Amino acid sequence: MWNLARKLLFHDRLRFAVAIAGVSVSVMLVLVQVGLYYGFMDTASSVIDASRADIWVGKKTNESFEFATPFDDRAFYKVASVPGVAHAERVLMSFAQFKLADGGDLGIQVVGVDTAPGHRPLLAPWNVIAGDARRLAEPGAIVIDRTEYPKLKIDRIGHTTEISGVRAEVVAMTSGIRSFTTSPIVFTDLRTARSYLPQLGAEPVTYVLVEVAPGAAIADVKARIEALPHLAAYTTAEMSARTRSYWSTRTGVGAGFFTTAVLGVIVGFVVVGQILYSGTLQYLREYGTLKAMGARNIAVVQVILSQAMISAGLGFAVGAPLAMAMRAAMKGANLTVALTPPLYATTAVITVAMCAFAALLSIVKVLRLDPASVFKG
Amino acid sequence: MIALAVNELVTQLGPSPGPGHTPLARMAGVAKTYGSGEQAVAALSNASLDIHPGEVTLIEGPSGSGKTTLISILGLLLTPTAGEVWIEGRNVVGLGERELPGLRARNFGFVFQGFNLFPALTALENVAIAIRMKNPRARNADAEARRLLERVGLGPRMRHLPADLSGGQKQRVAIARALGGDPPILIGDEPTAALDTRTALSVMELLRELASTQHRAVVVVTHDPRLERFADRVVRVEDGNIQAITTNPDSCRSPS
Repeated sequence: MWNLARKLLFHDRLRFAVAIAGVSVSVMLVLVQVGLYYGFMDTASSVIDASRADIWVGKKTNESFEFATPFDDRAFYKVASVPGVAHAERVLMSFAQFKLADGGDLGIQVVGVDTAPGHRPLLAPWNVIAGDARRLAEPGAIVIDRTEYPKLKIDRIGHTTEISGVRAEVVAMTSGIRSFTTSPIVFTDLRTARSYLPQLGAEPVTYVLVEVAPGAAIADVKARIEALPHLAAYTTAEMSARTRSYWSTRTGVGAGFFTTAVLGVIVGFVVVGQILYSGTLQYLREYGTLKAMGARNIAVVQVILSQAMISAGLGFAVGAPLAMAMRAAMKGANLTVALTPPLYATTAVITVAMCAFAALLSIVKVLRLDPASVFKG
Repeated sequence: MIALAVNELVTQLGPSPGPGHTPLARMAGVAKTYGSGEQAVAALSNASLDIHPGEVTLIEGPSGSGKTTLISILGLLLTPTAGEVWIEGRNVVGLGERELPGLRARNFGFVFQGFNLFPALTALENVAIAIRMKNPRARNADAEARRLLERVGLGPRMRHLPADLSGGQKQRVAIARALGGDPPILIGDEPTAALDTRTALSVMELLRELASTQHRAVVVVTHDPRLERFADRVVRVEDGNIQAITTNPDSCRSPS
């Protein structure tokens, strides 16, 4: 049946090319759109995912990492004194203005981390590729990702400027730390961050990161922290999912990407369905002849399904490398397309299902084909 | 030729005047009506016919006379409104689509005016795929297809696509395909209508030979009276009735 299916498909090369093009575009759209979505989501939660904390503590009203309400420093001490907490650190996160070299200002996302000596920090800039991140504890020291250098008009490590009118010096460069918002992430020490964000009060904190003591259950410690007034506690995974969910559902980002992916599937479905159906109509008399001579419906259906599977296989084989090429092209535009093995596998299954469903109309046509019709002219 | 009115024939010889003792297929009192009520159209009425091995039967009649309905019912492609159709020793009227394909595969091969060959497949593949579709467990489909094509004189052209074959060669491929699975009855629906006279006669000679040497029953619908010399019987159908069954003692029973 495979041989017949293959020959029938390849016989009309133009039609076959259109079918493969349809499936390939569909596969590429699904991979790129879903890959972009996951790339964005990875970016949205990248700071959280990079932390070593067991628990993130913030105000109950917080919905995402970026838009967090600060609270008083005393709450930090309350969290730090909860039984089962081995170590706690403060994070201050808010938006400020970065003075550009040309005199203009640009909004940035300040992330102030605890750089207290004697303990490996639970959150610190990662993927440092140049400069000295250990200098972050120095007043006014900042670390910025290389992708943001052009935007912030930084030409070198050692570049000095002002944030909210306070001195800042770039001491290190990272790679791959990108903000989900349009505002670049600027890492600095907690004390420096407070000087950049005077509007938040005297000693503000946005998050407390907790390392649970060995032997203590994270769930128990989390429950004890949540008993404190106005505070919510999440495991790092929960915090990451919460931020992803916020950006995905509250902003319509998820719906946008998935709508385009679904449109891709619909395009593939329509193209393959139309090609298979016109091919079935073309060979209807031949199928009818085989049925008249005793071929069972299942044998004819196998031929059509085989054509659908060949289209799916070849379409995927062309579409997946196209998606990889798109990923490479988008990398130049600082867009991350997260093409993972599970995404490839899921898209392959979707492609097979899409082509199988697209074959349904053709299958119904041959199932209803009256073998006696071969005698009718 | 000896012409008998059908009722007289049935009275004298029963519905089985053929040369064999046991018919391969028997139609008795078969009728087919399309539509119902005032819209009803009787396509065939009280038709009785036996099909014997080794016999060539021509079905003749004007367009719309019921010839196609007759062979469609004989070939188990159409269910009659009344009457019986006996195949493999049992009345098969009323059997469902679970059993009919198997019966057709075992008993019938079909040849059509338009050949109905897959244009993308070679002659060999066209025959082999039919064998496989008739019997998915067939292991030697290619070998059988090769043998059948050689049998119909197309051995040297079995790797050619239908587009590269003449009309007569295409029809020979279609006959080889119809012989796949070794069915005892071949039914042809105007198999020579699209062919020139010389080619038509050679195709008919082949069908005659298959009947004579392999004891297959060949039933051919035709408008061409020149083919009568190949027939053992000519069945005349008019207005949905078998008007006459004429035996032909002068039939050329061996290849010319």
